Amino acid sequence: MALGGCGRKGNELPKGISAVSTSQEADQKPPVAPPSERILESFDVPPLAEIVAQNTWIDRPVRDSLALLRAEQKEEVLLATVQEALLLKNDSTPSNAKILSAFGRLPELDQADLNAKIDRHTGADLNSTNPIMISSTTEFDVLGLTGFGLFSFDRMLEPFASGESVRSWQTSADGLLDKLVLRDDLVWSDGQRITAHDIAFTFQVIMDPRVPVPAVRSGTDQMRWVHAYDDFTIVYFHKEPLATNVWNINFPVLPKHLYEKSWQEDPTLKDSEYHVKLEQSPVSGGPYQIMTRQRGQEIVLARRDTWSTVDGKNVREKPFFREIRFRIIEDPNTSLLALKSGEIDEMILNPEQWMTQTTGNDFYQRNTKATAPEWVSFHFGWNIDTPYFKDRRVRRAMSYAFDHDTMLEKLCYGLYEPCTGNFHETSWMAPRKKTPPYRQDLDKAETLLDEAGWIDHDNDGFRDKELDGKLVPLEFDMLTNQQPLRIAICTLLQENLSQVGVRVNVRPMESTVLQQLTLERKFEAYFGGWGSGTDPDSSENIWATGAGRNFTSYSNPEVDKLYAEGRREPDRSKRAETYARIAELLWEDQPYTWLYWRNSFYGFSKDLRGYVYSPRGPYNYSPGFGSLWMPAQP
Amino acid sequence: MSSRTSGGFSANPHLPASHTPMSTSGGFWVEAWHRFRRKPLAMIGFLFVITLVGIAMFAPAIAGTKPVICRYKGRLYVPCLAYFDRRLEPAIFSTDKFRGTYPANLTQKDPASWAIWPLVFQDPYRAVRDNEWPGRPANPARDEGQPNWSRGGWNLLGTDQYGVDVLAKMVHGTTIALMVGFVSMGLAGTIGLIVGAASGYFGGWIDLVASRITEVVMCIPTLVLILALVAFVEKPTIWKTMAIIGMTSWTGIARLARGEFLRLRSSEFVIAAQAAGVGPLRIMLRHILPNALAPVLVPITFGIASAILIESSLSFLGFGSPPPNASWGALLNDARSNLSMWWLVAFPGTAIFLTVLSYNLVGEGLQEATDPRLRDARK
Repeated sequence: MALGGCGRKGNELPKGISAVSTSQEADQKPPVAPPSERILESFDVPPLAEIVAQNTWIDRPVRDSLALLRAEQKEEVLLATVQEALLLKNDSTPSNAKILSAFGRLPELDQADLNAKIDRHTGADLNSTNPIMISSTTEFDVLGLTGFGLFSFDRMLEPFASGESVRSWQTSADGLLDKLVLRDDLVWSDGQRITAHDIAFTFQVIMDPRVPVPAVRSGTDQMRWVHAYDDFTIVYFHKEPLATNVWNINFPVLPKHLYEKSWQEDPTLKDSEYHVKLEQSPVSGGPYQIMTRQRGQEIVLARRDTWSTVDGKNVREKPFFREIRFRIIEDPNTSLLALKSGEIDEMILNPEQWMTQTTGNDFYQRNTKATAPEWVSFHFGWNIDTPYFKDRRVRRAMSYAFDHDTMLEKLCYGLYEPCTGNFHETSWMAPRKKTPPYRQDLDKAETLLDEAGWIDHDNDGFRDKELDGKLVPLEFDMLTNQQPLRIAICTLLQENLSQVGVRVNVRPMESTVLQQLTLERKFEAYFGGWGSGTDPDSSENIWATGAGRNFTSYSNPEVDKLYAEGRREPDRSKRAETYARIAELLWEDQPYTWLYWRNSFYGFSKDLRGYVYSPRGPYNYSPGFGSLWMPAQP
Repeated sequence: MSSRTSGGFSANPHLPASHTPMSTSGGFWVEAWHRFRRKPLAMIGFLFVITLVGIAMFAPAIAGTKPVICRYKGRLYVPCLAYFDRRLEPAIFSTDKFRGTYPANLTQKDPASWAIWPLVFQDPYRAVRDNEWPGRPANPARDEGQPNWSRGGWNLLGTDQYGVDVLAKMVHGTTIALMVGFVSMGLAGTIGLIVGAASGYFGGWIDLVASRITEVVMCIPTLVLILALVAFVEKPTIWKTMAIIGMTSWTGIARLARGEFLRLRSSEFVIAAQAAGVGPLRIMLRHILPNALAPVLVPITFGIASAILIESSLSFLGFGSPPPNASWGALLNDARSNLSMWWLVAFPGTAIFLTVLSYNLVGEGLQEATDPRLRDARK
């Protein structure tokens, strides 16, 4: 089943690095080309027979992710039965493993209740229901279920074409072409057929500079053209044989018959009356469709029968839930109360909730919880364009001054791992030699600050430096959103830096304001986080000189060069070396003080089964959320 | 004020005191104080407020990790003043790399040094570290910091999730609560009196404009207006919060002041003053204001109580002064994430309740002591 496949393009999180927190969701806007600039140049499409004949074709994987997971689970040893796991409290690594093993299984025949409803938790509302406007985590969650998709990736982040929509996928030997044949039993929720023309059309819309696409254009812009030769055959023409082409061909799809005319009349795709109506009742190409939506409160999705049954024939496995209700609750305390009272069936738990709020019978009566590593990291970002952080020694001094142990042990309840760079150390692109994390060393911090010229010249107890004839104190604002844990971490930094004569003002603010300030580079330092992309190349727009999400204005020609090389290198092990070198250079430069990896901590209703974790959490891969189910009541 | 008679309404300010028929009276304010003193509840409230003022003024000497006074390398220092403003911390301690830890460093770097320490060695902004005070363990963090009277009383009112002592936060929070009350109502009182006096005394179009402005400001829900203003403020500080509270809560004072000025401008002593050629500003300040002050003081007292509540609400909602914020409302906010930590609710909640109650009792007592109608009715 393609719940994870249909538009579950975590990879599409603009070049994969998804901003994790709500605070960062809007960071996903790559620089949008000015409307006058033409992005796509005209292209003479060669005849299909010619390209088929002239190229050697390599078959690429077309998979049914659910069937694969089922096969995998057959080999796995069950650590506990469901009955045993229901009695367990998740207070140790073995019990966590037992809970995951018992509840993570897919249903046996007729075991699942196909009439089940699930109430999911989400922290924010949708900005748009149009799949190509996808940007925030909630949009990825909802539109991943309602959108039509061709590609996905498994829990090892290996890409494949989804067997539910694709018949075959081939790549030319020179890496410049991808050829796809669609299945002929695909329909939109309004009854029209889904064809290759929808895909080619969507490419044109995404590449139209007048359309304000926030995220998905980065990736498609690496392609030369996308052409539909008939209703089922589509060919992607690449500019270069990049290792990342496999991710670039994965973009959401619009129904051509609905947008063909209106696109030219209203390129914003949201202002005209017609588009407002489409926005309110969008046509779905995935297994679910949006039924009702109450702004700021809930989004209700219903299973679409025409997804699994076409022309009276059962063509695809039915998704397990009849209805999915996204409950929008911003405050973590309120959502935990909702979980305990059974109003929602799942939510992410923060460390304090995991350690102190979910240990008693009031929680275990209806719920259980499970954890696994996730590649989501948090950091202090230093704006290198300011006089304070231009010097690498100052940035390193910040990392030495911060009390990492207190943060990890006290503030994060010992649940998070120290972060030692931009790639997770268990990922293939991380340096093979483990990087030791920074530990507080105030002497080293002071020496580095002294060397960088930040000394207490005016004898007021705080460090300063003469810049352009003026004595500038080392005092800066640390921006963060209003989550208590983040404020506490920033306050700890403030305390630590005051010990070495540096003044910090912690400024908690609305997430949207923080987004705007970081996007405009109007900050000195901020607290932020990134989720991991599926390919290391996706982090280029954070580290390349002048890149869209390079908030700290980091610039290192060697890093730029290595990213360009890594993209062109087909061999995985050679690519790994390139990215490991990037990680080392970044670690030396410390444009961020990397803080911790936030593992996945989820509370689940005891009625839920089938959750399996990936480095992107239990949902954002294939099958991901598609493997969740509830047992039929006897 | 010496010109007042006990009633305060028929006095002629230009007659010498000996000409007044009730010359034995100690004056309006003395009389009011005598009456106020006879009200036990109001007096309890008043004494409570006085105690709070004491706690606020001496907060760094009651709870802190910096010496109240110390002798170091032959000189005397008062490092605890840094709690009022961090720039007041003597630079020598950072030059000598004390890094905020005084007890061990003082003896280590100058064996001849001595220090007088605060009553409670706890910091309102950070957790006390292991062995920071010789032989004392680090503050418990997470949800383990229950109020503790057994182990020698290190955390009398417990600690919060991050290990910061609640008593220290409460003591330093008193400063914030009182400052918010006095500063914001001082500002509100000034604005209210100016607007009220101008519109009451001059009348006409000035009255019309000022009254309409007052009504417009009254129509806007204060908390909503404050939240909107806080969002605009570039760098929020506790002072800006106070300013915003002050600038939004002057309306009641303005209306009362207007009424008083309107009434008094036609009284004999004002007409006499006008006849003597006294200018309007002097009449307003010298002749009307002292007579109008008593009724205006009452809403100011109540206003202080509501300002404290507003600041607590703002801190509770996370819009208060920037962290580390030791205000009582911020403590309540911490409690929200873990209700089983009852000590984070009980102590600041009680403190807010008692303080607001005290101000209200004082306000009520003041009202009864100064308003002739109420006073006579209770006789």
